[in-house]
Amino acid sequence: MRKLFRRIRYWIHNWQGDPELAEELEFHRTLREDRAMGNMTMAREDARAVWIWPWLESVWQDAAYAVRTLRRQPGFALVAVLTLAIGIGLNTSLFTVFNALAFRPWPVKDPARVVTAFSVMKQGPGGFGIAEYRYLAERAKSFSGLIAMQEWNGAKLDQGKVSGLYVSGNYFRVLGVQMERGRGFLDVEDKTESPEAVAVVSYALWKARFGEDPEIVGRRIRLDDVPVTVVGVASRDFAGTSPGRSDLWVPLSAMQILHPNDAGVRDLLTKPNYCCSSVAGRLGPEVRPEQARAELELLRGQFFAQFKIDRRGAVLLSGTQMLANPGTKRSGIIPVFLLMFAGVTLVLLLACANVGNLLLARAAARRREIAIRLSVGAGRGRVIRQLLTESLVLACLAAGAGVAIAYWLPSYVVTLAAGPVGLRLKPDGLVLAYSLALASLACLAFGLAPALHATRPDTARSLSGGDRLMLRGALLAVQVAISVVLLVTAGLMARGIQRARSQDPGFAIKDVSVISFDLPASSYNGPRKHAFFTQLAREVEGVSEARQFGFASNTPLSNRRQVTSFRKDGESASQPAMVTFLSVSSGYFNVLRIPIVVGRNFEPAGQDRKVILINETAARRYWPGESPVGKTIYLRTPSEIVGVVKDAYTSDLSQIEPLFYQPIDGAEAPEMLVREAGLSQAVAAIAKRIDSRVEVRVAPLSENLDRWLAGSRIGATLAAWLGAFALLLASIGIFGVFAYVVQQRTREIGIRMALGARPGQVIGLVVGSHSRPLGAGIALGLLGALGASRLLVRYLYGLSPLDVVSYGVVIALLALAGAAATIVPARRASRIDPATALRWD
Amino acid sequence: MGTKKTPQELLPGTLDLLILRTLTRGAAHGYGIAEHLKSVSEDVLQVGESSLYPALQRLLLNGWVVAEWGASENNRRARYYTLTAAGRKQLTAERAEFETMVAAIQKVLQTA
Repeated sequence: MRKLFRRIRYWIHNWQGDPELAEELEFHRTLREDRAMGNMTMAREDARAVWIWPWLESVWQDAAYAVRTLRRQPGFALVAVLTLAIGIGLNTSLFTVFNALAFRPWPVKDPARVVTAFSVMKQGPGGFGIAEYRYLAERAKSFSGLIAMQEWNGAKLDQGKVSGLYVSGNYFRVLGVQMERGRGFLDVEDKTESPEAVAVVSYALWKARFGEDPEIVGRRIRLDDVPVTVVGVASRDFAGTSPGRSDLWVPLSAMQILHPNDAGVRDLLTKPNYCCSSVAGRLGPEVRPEQARAELELLRGQFFAQFKIDRRGAVLLSGTQMLANPGTKRSGIIPVFLLMFAGVTLVLLLACANVGNLLLARAAARRREIAIRLSVGAGRGRVIRQLLTESLVLACLAAGAGVAIAYWLPSYVVTLAAGPVGLRLKPDGLVLAYSLALASLACLAFGLAPALHATRPDTARSLSGGDRLMLRGALLAVQVAISVVLLVTAGLMARGIQRARSQDPGFAIKDVSVISFDLPASSYNGPRKHAFFTQLAREVEGVSEARQFGFASNTPLSNRRQVTSFRKDGESASQPAMVTFLSVSSGYFNVLRIPIVVGRNFEPAGQDRKVILINETAARRYWPGESPVGKTIYLRTPSEIVGVVKDAYTSDLSQIEPLFYQPIDGAEAPEMLVREAGLSQAVAAIAKRIDSRVEVRVAPLSENLDRWLAGSRIGATLAAWLGAFALLLASIGIFGVFAYVVQQRTREIGIRMALGARPGQVIGLVVGSHSRPLGAGIALGLLGALGASRLLVRYLYGLSPLDVVSYGVVIALLALAGAAATIVPARRASRIDPATALRWD
Repeated sequence: MGTKKTPQELLPGTLDLLILRTLTRGAAHGYGIAEHLKSVSEDVLQVGESSLYPALQRLLLNGWVVAEWGASENNRRARYYTLTAAGRKQLTAERAEFETMVAAIQKVLQTA
């Protein structure tokens, strides 16, 4: 250690050579006049090599030289670093988000020992019933603790909504979560027979809603009007174990207290064949995951046998990182990230091509220096190393700036797009390593070809410039191609949104409002809800002359759906088909102007639950060539089809699937749709009069459409920005190449002009000389865009991937940018004075 | 190296040992060390600067000697090397090791 210190001190003192050593040797030489001294320089080098590994020193030398060279050309350095920094910064930012989402395990103590368990089911990995969990947790020896978590839709805390998790009593203890205040749950607080209304709140909630109240422990808060005692505040580092935000945690058994009127809760907590809570556990010391898995499977088998459940007990264990979660593969998040990575990688490539082009131009200016280096005996490898070091310095500077970008961009964009999330979006070591690797790759991508080029052994020929132009042409073609891909993508997505907004979705959006009602969960059970909505409907009928209102379990494009199994009359019960269904009142079809093509609507009053309506697609799918009206199908009960409704894009804008409509009974909390001016205020007033605790929210239906399109809009905006940046870079590239052509051919142009060529012909000559790479680039880009658009079909809402307008606009835009970038060099060419040109060079 | 007899190749590490031993007499500059080695060994050990100065740098790096600028006999600036406490310890250790080694070599030469 002391040695390293001395070595560093030596470096600091002698980093520009070692005058002391030189003087010492000189002194030695004067005293030894008697004879020749041998190789003084070698003696000095050998003596110095003790201190510094010469290789390392020469790397340092190269870097120092590179920095000096770059400082002499600040303009070039700035443009190159900025270009690369944006490329690397975008890439690193995306990786930061991906890293936060996918690679990080839960923020708990010793996360490597915590595994999540999934029960293997036909339709994919799933969870466990709570009774099943209790059985397993009691018996499993290979875990030092098993925990269960149940998603919670959230509750009302004072005036705002909070979301959280129901968790088993050992949750905080098993995960080893530190407490900022108070404690985690006790096992006695999670007994189904004696539930306790206690909660642990997150640090963020404690700060935001309780002003970091130091007396929070023991304080009573009201969740959905149910008093709950806060027993602890989780530490600041604990962001929770669900992908969303967790504001607070409540024991599983307290579900009974928070939903006093929901008869299903007790079943959920105690019935053996219920589903589905997430289960995770901390492996016991020295236990391998395989052992733990085998034990769980064995225990599940016993459990199923004991309760005579006909299921197999296969179990899957995985890490707690999202990427390790087997459910992730099905969620479709990976393809979205791959698409985005493709986009930002294209931009990075483009940036590399541009900087490569700049380097080529610079190599032309430095050919004398390089020629001298080569002719005085520097090996080609050595000169290439020098040039690559310059590239590496550029890349490292850019990586630094890129990481700085990644420090603020991800949280900014994610917050903008998705609101506050429980993700830690700051770059960590992995992100840093990623950006450095990226910089090194980029350095090779933009630096290697120019360096090889500049140091070719047949220096004389390479100086002629022909090959260099070839390389520049190729780079130009790549740039143009990438710009085309990105711009076409942006264009298609923007047109897709436009189309989605303008196309007829099959139902009315304009003038329709959605009214939702928040009923206090603590005092509304099924019958009470039914009574509320029956009274509401009756009173609204009294004030609404046109009766333009209806109820629905899900409003159009709300992104929620319910699925049920059914079978046709005469089919066996063992193979039911799955179909999406909606519960609606008869007014629903009037408000949304969805016509009934065959049969009749529900009877407004005196509904029996035995009738359903289906949409045209369902009719075509399940009763091809015959009329479904009058047929009976079996849902939970046999139901008669009384009518067929026209197809509408209510559940998905890009496709229509079979849909069944059931009459609504009001036992769920439905939303109301109205299309009468002033009616929504009247409805709100009526609801408040019936029960003043009811919260009413009114929003236009178009909000649903906007929310539905938000993803595409973000995608289109992203692609547009990337495309604009790509276009700018490509324009700079085009400009550079043509300016270079003019400079190279000044003499030739001069002669041509002296011989009578008109300016127009000269411009044609210059532009014509490089239209080939431009054309090739556009062709290549169009091919790439065709490929890319296939991946985007989901976001195009029926727009053809070959949309002429998008392609046309992009080509026009590119032509315009190309013209703008060529015009200056071309005009310069046409103004060349023959007399000057002939004296050129 | 001309017509002169080539100086004896030293065993690796021996030069460091010899320098340390020389410095027990007091501070000396590089040339002084070389001269001392030459005269004591009756011209057998002629240490060239291309091995002397790297060796001195090595000793500096290890902290066994320290260097200081001072005036030489002919009133020029010269760099004087002084043994440190760590250097003395190192000398003792290396010397013992060296003597074991020489004895071993001797034994081999006599018996073989």
